[in-house]
Amino acid sequence: MRFCPYSHRTRLVLKAKGIRHEIVNINLRNKPEWYYTKHPLGQIPVLETSQCQLIYESVIACEYLDDAYPGRKLFPCDPYERARQKMLSELFCKVPQLTKECLVALRCRRECTDLKVALRQEFCNLEEILDYQNTTFFGGDCISMIDYLLWPWFERLDVYGIADCVSHTPALRLWIASMKQDPTVCALLTDKSIFQGYLSLYFQNNPNAFDFGLC
Amino acid sequence: MRFCPFAERTLLVLKAKGIRHEVININLKNKPEWFFKKNPLGLVPVLENSKGQLIYESAITCEYLDEAYSGKKLLPEDPYEKACQKMIFELFSKVPSLVTSFLRRQNKEDCSGLKEELHREFSKLEEVLTNKKTAFFGGNSLSMIDYLIWPWLERLEALELNECVDHTPKLKLWMAAMRKDPTVSAVLIDVKAHKGFIDLYLQNSPEACDYGL
Repeated sequence: MRFCPYSHRTRLVLKAKGIRHEIVNINLRNKPEWYYTKHPLGQIPVLETSQCQLIYESVIACEYLDDAYPGRKLFPCDPYERARQKMLSELFCKVPQLTKECLVALRCRRECTDLKVALRQEFCNLEEILDYQNTTFFGGDCISMIDYLLWPWFERLDVYGIADCVSHTPALRLWIASMKQDPTVCALLTDKSIFQGYLSLYFQNNPNAFDFGLC
Repeated sequence: MRFCPFAERTLLVLKAKGIRHEVININLKNKPEWFFKKNPLGLVPVLENSKGQLIYESAITCEYLDEAYSGKKLLPEDPYEKACQKMIFELFSKVPSLVTSFLRRQNKEDCSGLKEELHREFSKLEEVLTNKKTAFFGGNSLSMIDYLIWPWLERLEALELNECVDHTPKLKLWMAAMRKDPTVSAVLIDVKAHKGFIDLYLQNSPEACDYGL
């Protein structure tokens, strides 16, 4: 699904590594029967290799791609640095759910102050890492896997209406700006008006929401 | 902490790979100040290597050890097989919190619901073994995924949850096979000790972590 942040992770890695691939989007409100043969619970993303091997869970798919394909390695080679990136991924783990809850609350015109406070706290934890490391990106001075794994949710802060949650985290804002300069991130950036269009239809329960912006 | 199932994962990998190490147990009911410098969240296990580098989250420590140390590789080299082990790990992911909920249940009524949920989770694992037609989760030899899952299955008897594997014969066979593994046997804590710890833990006793010493 074109707007799914988890799928976005996988697409970023495919692009960053220059891996030839075909994308098949599915309508999450009307999942085709065949999709359940790819994932028992019908979740996305699923990666299918040319040998028909199926891999799901976005992080597992991203790691698989980095392992299986040559060229630029997105994960560091050093075991400790790899472990650090995985620990950072754990540090981030509350963000997806919190951003989704904020989005839903705002769209349903509900109170979301507490949610935003919780989200800011999570962002402070990430800010602390960047401050301590004194690097541009989470894995060092070059962009790497961990940055791509986190990015999709930061790209969505604006359209979700929660961009103010990074107002107290300058290093994180700098990271966001640096990410937007990365060729891979740029290539996959979704136009704001298209995203807004999708969100409007989605919250009206329109089954064609996922196709918004397609000709 | 001697009875922690998460820490047991790391111990199993250290032993399986023959990595020299020192274990420092801490009292989770009375954590020493210095421990928070090792893990700001104060959670166990934490691995500290000779360079003073700190790694936490049990699964991350296990993978780190497998990558950093030579000898027997516990994770497969093949990227797809490795991904399969991680997908099985995800499949298992609800078990630890279900077991903790069971441990902390307030009354007997919550039990049957929890037991049913556990049974459902174990059925998923049974399906994996049935589809793979192998003795272990990674194939016909024991590998990383087996060690990552084992600590919770080890504790079933002490928690009186053996019935949750009644309808999962392959899982039962797997448990028996695991007990025969030299690494698992070396790290195994007997039912009586597990029960002793659990009783004191549920009473919030600060002596719980030291049971049996």
